[in-house]
Amino acid sequence: MAENTDKMVIDGVELTGIWKEFLPSRILYEDVTTEFLDEVKKLPGGSTIVKCYQCGTCSGGCTLPDFVDKFNPRRFIDLVRRGHYDILVNENKDLVWKCVSCQRCTHRCPRGVNTQEVVRAIAKFLENRKVFGKITNDEAFDEIFMDEVIEDGRIDEVKIVKDFYSKTGRLKDMMSADQISLGFKMLTSGRIKLFGGRIKDWKKVSQRLKEELQ
Amino acid sequence: MKTVLVIGGGVTGLKAASELAEMGYNVSLVEKEDYLGGQVTKHKYYKLAPDLRLAGDVIYPVIKAVESNSNIKVLKHSQITAVSGAAPEFKAKIKNSKGESEETFGAIVVATGFDHFDPTVKQEYGYGRFKDVVTNAEVEEMLNPNGPTKGELKRPSDGKTPKKIAIFQCVGSRDRQVGNPYCCRVGCVVSTKQAIEIKEKYPDSEVYVYYMDMRMFGRGWEELYGKAMEDYEIIFTRGRGAEVTLKNQQLSLRAEETIMDRPIQHSVDMIILAAGMAAGEGTIDAAKVLGIKQNDYGFLAPKDDFLSPNESSKPGIFIAGADKGPMDIENCIVEGAAVAAKVAGSLKN
Ligand SMILES: Cc1cc2nc3c(=O)[nH]c(=O)nc-3n(C[C@H](O)[C@H](O)[C@H](O)COP(=O)(O)OP(=O)(O)OC[C@H]3O[C@@H](n4cnc5c(N)ncnc54)[C@H](O)[C@@H]3O)c2cc1C
Ligand code: SF4
Ligand code: SF4
Ligand code: SF4
Repeated sequence: MAENTDKMVIDGVELTGIWKEFLPSRILYEDVTTEFLDEVKKLPGGSTIVKCYQCGTCSGGCTLPDFVDKFNPRRFIDLVRRGHYDILVNENKDLVWKCVSCQRCTHRCPRGVNTQEVVRAIAKFLENRKVFGKITNDEAFDEIFMDEVIEDGRIDEVKIVKDFYSKTGRLKDMMSADQISLGFKMLTSGRIKLFGGRIKDWKKVSQRLKEELQ
Repeated sequence: MKTVLVIGGGVTGLKAASELAEMGYNVSLVEKEDYLGGQVTKHKYYKLAPDLRLAGDVIYPVIKAVESNSNIKVLKHSQITAVSGAAPEFKAKIKNSKGESEETFGAIVVATGFDHFDPTVKQEYGYGRFKDVVTNAEVEEMLNPNGPTKGELKRPSDGKTPKKIAIFQCVGSRDRQVGNPYCCRVGCVVSTKQAIEIKEKYPDSEVYVYYMDMRMFGRGWEELYGKAMEDYEIIFTRGRGAEVTLKNQQLSLRAEETIMDRPIQHSVDMIILAAGMAAGEGTIDAAKVLGIKQNDYGFLAPKDDFLSPNESSKPGIFIAGADKGPMDIENCIVEGAAVAAKVAGSLKN
């Protein structure tokens, strides 16, 4: 929301009055666009967003509002569709991913929107735009773990430790004396291997997995 | 002079029959029930939207015009079981308690109307499970002084007059989940009318209408909507009813107040479901017997919606009224007259 400081000066006289200068404007100055709708529509599960007619059946019966204030699937859809990106990010980015996939919305939607999938697609859309900021160590580890499973079909201990430190910006820590000595001990005792083995033809599986998960 | 077969004794069929009889045609009016007037009589409509005029003032003259015309033979409790031949000579088998007979007709008018949508399938609304969730057709009956409650609005559970009443719009209409994506076209005005009737009778009551859009396109409908808000303080909330539950023996509804972006839980004494109009059994039967086309929802399909709205897919068989899709009474009367003109034209050739 921008502060409206426009003055209307005619013949050197300011006509709007001083009050207009200290009242914040209620006008939305957002540059709305259908770009985000196009993007969500193309994500897996996102295509039915176009069917929504904003009736509020999903939000009216949703499991979450009793526990999560302001969780509102209808509104998420509305904000994406009308391109209110700032409101979506500022007010809803910490909400969208909380959906518990109970499917009440999808079963009741009178328009045939797969609401639960659309909510997921919106969360994915925000994730793709990296609006969730710095991730925690736990989240970083989960991501690396999943990426590696998808990529190679198995875990390579050395690689995962290296990627973890790198992703959390702590490569320096990995090179500390005690970490190096711990690594050495584990190597010599056979607890970890320097190079992980390969799984035959995993590339094909990996390709399919990636397509599914996008 | 050729005889015309009119199937269905609702307002549409009655109007068509009396218009044709006035032009000098003989008419056989076949009605499956033992009364005339269709849904208006069946559900004892008391006052009609938008003028709150007594339904009897409209339906009785239409019935009387039929019953007093000697060119019309009224066959109640009757049904058509088979039709053969083609225009302008159809042979129809008419079955009733007296047996089955075959008659010859020059043309056939189908005016078999609609059925009220049965909301039992919308389980989340609790109709059939919670006694005080009722349909708009049931409310029509209650509000009639000659109805089951002698004109009083009463909760089926305990016979008490409800104080807080909620009305859910679009039940079984605009809903792909039940296969009826179309608009019922009368639900909005009927609910507004019922809300006003309730407030007029019980000024202390509170009436809340949960809607997606209030569709007020008919004559005087928008004005009635304004009146409902201004003169009767009926509360219209933009949000489709999501579910009904029972909390401490009290009906409780959930919906989203979309204008506030918040779901609300609202305790009420009675919930009225504005159930829409579905293609009736009688219409589906007639379409089968006559071999005429239906649309995706079971209603009868005109040969051409714009250019020949009262002609079925078969020459000599004509269609009119709410069997073509949701329609209000005013338009049904227009349709009845229009189809009569079309039939007369076809018989002249
Ligand atoms: C709750 C409710 C309230 C309404 N209130 C209003 C209002 O206030 N104002 C308004 O303008 N409109 C109102 N309407 C709309 C109104 O009911 C219809 O416009 C009207 O009833 C349609 O008339 P019809 O003759 O086409 O069909 P119907 O009234 O359905 O009549 C059809 C007749 O055909 C008979 N029939 C069916 N099949 C066969 C068969 N195979 N053989 C023989 N007979 C058959 C039926 O028994 C019935 O008598 C309301 C509708 C609803 C749902
Ligand atoms: S129930 Fe369906 S149509 Fe209604 S607001 Fe939710 S997603 Fe949109
Ligand atoms: S699936 Fe998610 S959005 Fe849908 S009702 Fe359940 S919690 Fe709400
Ligand atoms: S007329 Fe009103 S109640 Fe009926 S389906 Fe249309 S919008 Fe809904």
